[in-house]
Amino acid sequence: MDGSRQLSTRVCTGAQWLLQALEEEGCEVMFGYPGGAVMPVYDALVDSSIRHILVRHEQGAALAADGYARASGKVGVCLATSGPGATNLLTGIANAFLDSVPMVAITGQVQTMVMGTDAFQEVDVFGMSLPVVKHSYIVRRAEDVYATVREAFAIARSGRPGPVLIDLPKDVALASAQARAPRFKHGADRRGESDGLMRARALLATAKRPLLYVGGGVGMANAEGPLRSLMRSTGLPAVYTLKGLGSVDPDAPFNLGMLGMHGNPAANHAVQECDLLIVAGARFDDRATGKLDTFAPGARVLHMDIDAAEIGKLRKADVGLGGKLSEQLPALAQPLHISEWLRRCRSLKLKHAERYDAPGEGVFAPALLKQLSEAGGNRLIVASDVGQHQMWVAQHWRVPRAAAHLSSGGLGTMGFGLPAAIGAQLARPDACVVCVSGDGSIMMNIQELATLKRYGIPVKIVLLDNACLGMVRQWQELFFAERYSEVDLSDNPDFAVLARAFGIPAFTVDRADQVPAAIERLLEEDGPLFCHVKIDPRANVWPLVPPGKSNAQMMGCAA
Amino acid sequence: MSVDFHIELDHSEGALLRLLGTIERRGFALLNLAADKPDEESYLVRLRLGGERDPLVLCRQLERLVEVRVVKVVPPPPEPPPSPGFQATWL
Repeated sequence: MDGSRQLSTRVCTGAQWLLQALEEEGCEVMFGYPGGAVMPVYDALVDSSIRHILVRHEQGAALAADGYARASGKVGVCLATSGPGATNLLTGIANAFLDSVPMVAITGQVQTMVMGTDAFQEVDVFGMSLPVVKHSYIVRRAEDVYATVREAFAIARSGRPGPVLIDLPKDVALASAQARAPRFKHGADRRGESDGLMRARALLATAKRPLLYVGGGVGMANAEGPLRSLMRSTGLPAVYTLKGLGSVDPDAPFNLGMLGMHGNPAANHAVQECDLLIVAGARFDDRATGKLDTFAPGARVLHMDIDAAEIGKLRKADVGLGGKLSEQLPALAQPLHISEWLRRCRSLKLKHAERYDAPGEGVFAPALLKQLSEAGGNRLIVASDVGQHQMWVAQHWRVPRAAAHLSSGGLGTMGFGLPAAIGAQLARPDACVVCVSGDGSIMMNIQELATLKRYGIPVKIVLLDNACLGMVRQWQELFFAERYSEVDLSDNPDFAVLARAFGIPAFTVDRADQVPAAIERLLEEDGPLFCHVKIDPRANVWPLVPPGKSNAQMMGCAA
Repeated sequence: MSVDFHIELDHSEGALLRLLGTIERRGFALLNLAADKPDEESYLVRLRLGGERDPLVLCRQLERLVEVRVVKVVPPPPEPPPSPGFQATWL
């Protein structure tokens, strides 16, 4: 029953109102860690239907809530105490902000009467988080708690999604009051130019070399279907960003791959050669564009985004359309006469097809990832950490839909993978969730193996261990005259032993001929499993656009 | 380049901080600031900003803040003619 109908008569504590509002918003799982200032909420939680997942570090809570949200499309919820609990959440909140993930983060706060006095475990998390939240609140009256939570959810999921912080002082959580009703604000529907759609169609009709540039906004807008229909009906070729991965049908004939720094050369060349760039839910991020003023030099731009503030931010749009991609993409459909361009795209795709015939007996990580993703099929969700392995996943993992690929794109948060995988698995118990991590990243949130064990969460971890910080090492090799500085991790623990110490079954692979059996075990075994894969420390990610260079100047690929 | 903004926003906790922080983080300098509180529920803020980026993009970035009701970009008044010589000005 919607408790908002009883608001005028019931008296509850702030903490109870908080949990009632969460329940009414459909929150089934929350991730958190208790402490002094948030104890009233934890006390009320005993009587709540919400399943609380006790993580082992607050950053894990925020990143798990992020993974939960990405995999489910719902709002992720995390909870921490004041002071260090709140500051530990911040990286996860920033991660959600940069990738537009809907999240409500709740922090306990010291009592209102001592706020501003440097009280024990007091920090101004409201002020600290201002640059990385969509919105935030300090709730100063118990009667406001219920409405604030309801409003926070509406803000987190509306328009361009993002994280909302609620800072709840302890005395407010303990005080009893009737609750006021929420006041939902409806933002103006900014659709851009009134004749935009007509002009967009005209742009497309006259283009000889049109190209879709697909970002994370497509998946978040549930516009994968309309995008794929548009591609099928028009033949439009497409490239995509890291966050756009999975929105484009992986088997589509004119899926040219990821663009950008570690993009497919076919994608980057197509961008450079196109005469119309149709930008769908992407934002001209520097990792995608390379040197911005050399990006798509001969193209006019049609930019569509739910967030009108992205249009014209970095590249002038000839036509800008704010609003819903699910409505705009179908409206572009029309017969196109681009057969010559499609021949060129096909030729680029063939020329730059990936190769997996690496010599030697060692494990070739790209091949392992490709084989694992193909063997697992559509039931897989991959949560990757940050580094070389993240790019190998982006290049080689077969991603059937956007919500099946979780990656920290904007913030590049090492340590994202394991907690995000935990969140995703709890959101999608029917899926097989694989965390692909590196030996640098895994150690950033290794404590969450205890969370896996406690709840028996069947995440499969594939740790690609090159005994170094591979991406930094690669850049030092290529751009800092091989002056290797603080990248050696050859004294890593024995990861299989470490995993077993947490109670997680584990095994190690260091030869290519062991890979098929490892994949079979990963896909067949119930429960959590840790696969430690030793790879060549000298392996690099190719191709690579050097920093500050045009996407046309890729290293490590055919000319 | 300078540009004037007139902004109406809710009088809620942190609203001004969020507004001014967004402006500075987006690469604009605060050259002048005046704020009124015409009623219990709103602020009226007049700003002169300096910066090289497109003020219309900033306008849209401010419009998406939850507390912001209206953002108007106002053409700055014309520069006064150059004075014939040194003249001290006290502000």
